[in-house]
Amino acid sequence: MKAIINYLSDPVFSFTGIIFFFFLGIKHIEVVASKKFATIALILILIIFGWMSLDPVFLSIVIWPDNVPIIFLLALVIWSTWFAIHKGVINDQRMAAGEPPVEGTPENREKVWAWPNLVYTELFAIIAGTVFLIAWSILLKSPLEEPANPTWAPNPAKAPWYFLGLQEMLVYFDPWIAGVTLPVLIVVGLIAIPYIDTNPKGNGYYSFKDRKFAITSFLFGWLLLWIFLIIIGTFLRGPNWTFYGPFEFWDAHKVVAANNINLSEIFWIKFLNMPLPKNIFAREFLGLILVAIYYTFVPVFITRKFGQKFLITMGKARYYFLIFLVLTMMSLPLKMYLRWFINLKYIVFMPEFELNI
Amino acid sequence: MKKEPGMAYDTKKLNKVFAVLAVLLLFAVLWMFVDDYLRPWKAVQLKAIDIKQQHLNDQIAATSKDIDQVALKNFETSLKQAEQELESKATDISRIEREIGEVEKKIYAQNMTNGVWGSKSGEYQFNYEHYNVAKETQKAEIYYKKMKEAQANFDLGRDKLKAFQSEENSLNKKLLEIKNSQMEIDKKIKEIIGARDRLTVAANLNSKSFVWLLRNLPFLDYLDPTVKIKQVVLKRLTDDRYFQQTTKVDRCTTCHVFIDQKGFENQENPYKTHPHVDTLAAGPDSKHPLKEFGCTSCHGGEGHRVNDFNSAAHVPQNEKQKQDWIKKYQWHEPHKVPQPMLPLQYAEGMCIKCHQGVEYLPMAHKLNKGKRLIENYGCYGCHKIEGWADKVKPGPSLLKIAGKITPEFTKNWIWSPHSFNHKSRMPAFFNQANNSNPEFMALNVAEVNSMVEYLYKNSESYTPFAKYTSGDAENGKHLIQTIGCIGCHQVEGIDEPYSKTANMSGPYLTGIGSKVSGDWLKSWILKPAHYQENTIMPKFRLTEKEANDLTAYMLSLKNKTFESLKFEILNPKMRDQLLIEDFSTFETEAAAKLKLSALSEEERTLALGKKSISKYGCYSCHQIAGFDESMPPIGPELSAVGSKPVEQFGFGQQKQVPHTRHDWITNHLEQPSRWDLGVPKKFKDLTKMPNFYLNPEEITSITGFLLGLVNDYVPASGKKILNAREAIAEEGKKVATKYNCYGCHNIEGHIAGVNEVYKDDQNAGPPWLMKEGLRVHSEWLYHFLRNVHPIRTYLTIRMPSFNFSDDEVNKLVAYFAAESDQTMFADLSGKVNWEPGEREAAIKIFNELACTSCHSTGFTNDTAQGPDLHQVKMRLREAWIKKWLNNPQAILPYTPMPNFWDDGKTSAVPGVLDDNPEKQINALVKYLLEMSQNDYPKGTKYKDL
Repeated sequence: MKAIINYLSDPVFSFTGIIFFFFLGIKHIEVVASKKFATIALILILIIFGWMSLDPVFLSIVIWPDNVPIIFLLALVIWSTWFAIHKGVINDQRMAAGEPPVEGTPENREKVWAWPNLVYTELFAIIAGTVFLIAWSILLKSPLEEPANPTWAPNPAKAPWYFLGLQEMLVYFDPWIAGVTLPVLIVVGLIAIPYIDTNPKGNGYYSFKDRKFAITSFLFGWLLLWIFLIIIGTFLRGPNWTFYGPFEFWDAHKVVAANNINLSEIFWIKFLNMPLPKNIFAREFLGLILVAIYYTFVPVFITRKFGQKFLITMGKARYYFLIFLVLTMMSLPLKMYLRWFINLKYIVFMPEFELNI
Repeated sequence: MKKEPGMAYDTKKLNKVFAVLAVLLLFAVLWMFVDDYLRPWKAVQLKAIDIKQQHLNDQIAATSKDIDQVALKNFETSLKQAEQELESKATDISRIEREIGEVEKKIYAQNMTNGVWGSKSGEYQFNYEHYNVAKETQKAEIYYKKMKEAQANFDLGRDKLKAFQSEENSLNKKLLEIKNSQMEIDKKIKEIIGARDRLTVAANLNSKSFVWLLRNLPFLDYLDPTVKIKQVVLKRLTDDRYFQQTTKVDRCTTCHVFIDQKGFENQENPYKTHPHVDTLAAGPDSKHPLKEFGCTSCHGGEGHRVNDFNSAAHVPQNEKQKQDWIKKYQWHEPHKVPQPMLPLQYAEGMCIKCHQGVEYLPMAHKLNKGKRLIENYGCYGCHKIEGWADKVKPGPSLLKIAGKITPEFTKNWIWSPHSFNHKSRMPAFFNQANNSNPEFMALNVAEVNSMVEYLYKNSESYTPFAKYTSGDAENGKHLIQTIGCIGCHQVEGIDEPYSKTANMSGPYLTGIGSKVSGDWLKSWILKPAHYQENTIMPKFRLTEKEANDLTAYMLSLKNKTFESLKFEILNPKMRDQLLIEDFSTFETEAAAKLKLSALSEEERTLALGKKSISKYGCYSCHQIAGFDESMPPIGPELSAVGSKPVEQFGFGQQKQVPHTRHDWITNHLEQPSRWDLGVPKKFKDLTKMPNFYLNPEEITSITGFLLGLVNDYVPASGKKILNAREAIAEEGKKVATKYNCYGCHNIEGHIAGVNEVYKDDQNAGPPWLMKEGLRVHSEWLYHFLRNVHPIRTYLTIRMPSFNFSDDEVNKLVAYFAAESDQTMFADLSGKVNWEPGEREAAIKIFNELACTSCHSTGFTNDTAQGPDLHQVKMRLREAWIKKWLNNPQAILPYTPMPNFWDDGKTSAVPGVLDDNPEKQINALVKYLLEMSQNDYPKGTKYKDL
């Protein structure tokens, strides 16, 4: 059983699996939002987690002081996501029945005093938070390590947990993309949300139906491309950033065959059986064209097929910027699959210009 | 409940929540303080207080026992009487005391007045001088007058003060006279019980009193706690914090409270006294006081951390201690500490960190042993170690091997040295766990055959110059035991106590009769250099008969089983396979095959032979034709192996070996091939480190030495830097080690290898060389080492003739001079000047003491029991002879030379020279110098033998 789990947790399967379950959940969102589903899921999660914790290797990873906050994080992420969807679906059902959303009922529109209703309860939160932090810091000593030794880097050398998603991206992308371009686009994209998303529905009340595309695409980026990568980076990446199953001992000498090749090598040597052209543009022409197509023809194609409605409601500038962001986001899973299935290293390999895509 | 308008919650409920949270916060804060206050080391210190209290109480009890109760009682009764007497004079006393009080008051008042006048006169003087220089005559005059007045008053006052003081003195004297007897008795009582009282005070100060509690209470303990972190700051040493060297701080004494105090030897750790508190370390009078050297500079570990037991990077000595610690302290491997504490058995290794470039270290016995073993086994042949570059090759030369042993023997020997000689220092390359499958064995056989082929093909021819006829093996055995062979060699079957030596410089001779021929053996023992020019084996100036007898004995030492072994013949297929593999390192297999086919059968064998000798590094230990000094050592360098990161050691599939530096080294030494087990390696990639079959004790010693080879930065101020004389001595020690002088002589506290043999009668063994530089003239020593001749003719053990180079002799001579702080040369040209009548007295002493009854050489025909007195002048330093005559046993405790003058206290010959021992000794020395020859005895030069 453990061996099967170890095998299935390899990103090839687990990532595919989680994409499948994600869209399945979106499709049957009412089921997911129900309390019954939540209760069963919670019980199942607790049982599975408890069973997994019986394994000494898994337990040692989980209770490693660095990783404890990530467990908290996961619990909170699951809870808050479910809670929001739960409320949204209730409202959707009410609205479908012609009732106002819960937030719109007369008793919920009544105004209350900031003191004590808000300030007092905020104080409670501060105190409770302080008590929690004190207890945590006493019970779980801070994971401070020895003075930094430049000749003895830790293995695995891991970023702070909140950056582990980025670090995981480094497996698939050149540092300047994974470490600079994508993070910048993430920040820019998050800032741009209010300007792109001009849909007036859903303001002041929870709803899923009214903002189906917005919520789905955000959750896809957030849960699958960020949180899930953090999980992989935290629990499943060991020494040398090699993949280890949850029950697999972190043997620093584990060897994984990884011979990745570039698109140009596949094209010229394997496919055409020719030496690589000396001219780098000639050499990389296919990759360059593919990237160009990805950002030009694909948007046009998408627009023709699904996007007419959006294009009209949003206007061209907003629409194409959104498409650009979505495509960039989708480039990550795309590259992941290319790596897994054809050992692709780079689509465009131009170290002469430090341009590796 | 109905909600108020504008309220989402019920205020009363909110207040309740607030109350609960506030209480929780209070408890959390209290918990935080308690958690912060309770530190593991505090518990240790609390127990230490009890232990110290117990210790003081024991001492109080012991001193109380020493108190003479009877005397104390007597004194106490007489004290009572004296006190009664005083009471009768109470009125007198109180009157005098009153008077003293009066006078004291007057003195006090007078002192005040004098002070005023004194300061005033100073002020007026200053003003007077000022105005006088400024030519303001009027003011100057006024101040002059005032000054004079003040001075007069001051003088007057001082006079009065003197009168009062003398009055006080006489009154005090009177009082003392009355009280005298009582005070005397009191003083005596204090003498008796003073020690106990002082201890009691100490015990009271140590006890957990109310004040103690107050000082150590939470919060208050920031003021002046007694329970606190104790530390030493070591300005001369640094801690490597990677980006910076910081002043070393050791806080080990926070828990190891009594480490530098005597009297706690029997306590449990951490309350124990350091085992070498007085001599080696920790104690204030030891070589390495705690306050100057700390703890971690020698023991390793993280000295500044006192968080808990684990944070200091304690490392257990063995499995048992490890289990104990896990139970007691939840011990775990130190996490990412580059230099954890060295397990106790290896601690001596750290000495080398500061004591670099020295041959041996006094007191570091395990370390010295480890170094000696590395030298004897020749680890430095294959592994570069800094400072060991110019050592001789540990194995014998193979340049003339064809003239010494048969190829068949050589093959069997290389294949398995230990089956010929279980104490062989030649390690076993074959038949190891990693190369004993049939495929690899066949390849190994081809290699051995080829190597031997190569050795014999390239060997110079050698014919022994001597012919062995026949000899008396019994006498040979006797000779081997007594003339000094056992200083370096051992053989199975020789008698006690001769078998009890601790030497390994030369080969173990068991089975030698199956190895070499009689002619070769005889030639070798007569003239070792005839076979190998640079051998360290000396000549023993053997006669023809002695050589024959020794040879006869050694030829009788046979290993029949080994003799009957037949080595498998060369399999050309295997040979060719190995050659193709070698040739195809940089070429295709086809090209390699082509290259091979161009070679004849013999060329192929020789090619593989040379390649295999390179592969196994035979040339590292042996001189082999075709391999010069430029060949690199084949093993990894060990100069900083003690700092090599644990990650860089290959543990292979040996999961049971803990991942520490010392565990890797000990396991490696025990069975080097183990790292290949479970790893499907190719033949050419197998671990080549051979097996030395070391015993656990040897492994521990070697490991300790290797762990000390660290590259830690030690500031110059923290290192032992040799002064000029020590550096000279070190050079000589290297020569002494090379020729194994320590095998026979006790030199400056170094116990000789043969010591055990002559334990009961040291005078029958090689002389001890204690402060040899003070004893003999440097010129003489030079001459002697160049032309060895018997000095103590009564010894059967011989000083051999060594093939020293000029440089080596000079270094040895300088070594003894430097070790004794002796300047090099003495003037021997002076003539003896006699005082009137002194010469006659000297002759009388010489005859009376019957010097010639032992030192008979040149006087009578009796067998001499002491050195020749005619050589005294050239050999011995005058000052030393006097010291010797004064008390010979003080210099050599074992000498039978009588102590005539009893350390200069008595006259040896009554009635001579005013019975003054010093005069008598001086006269005798003059007489000895006068009778001495003025040249050296002939002796024989090494090359003339």
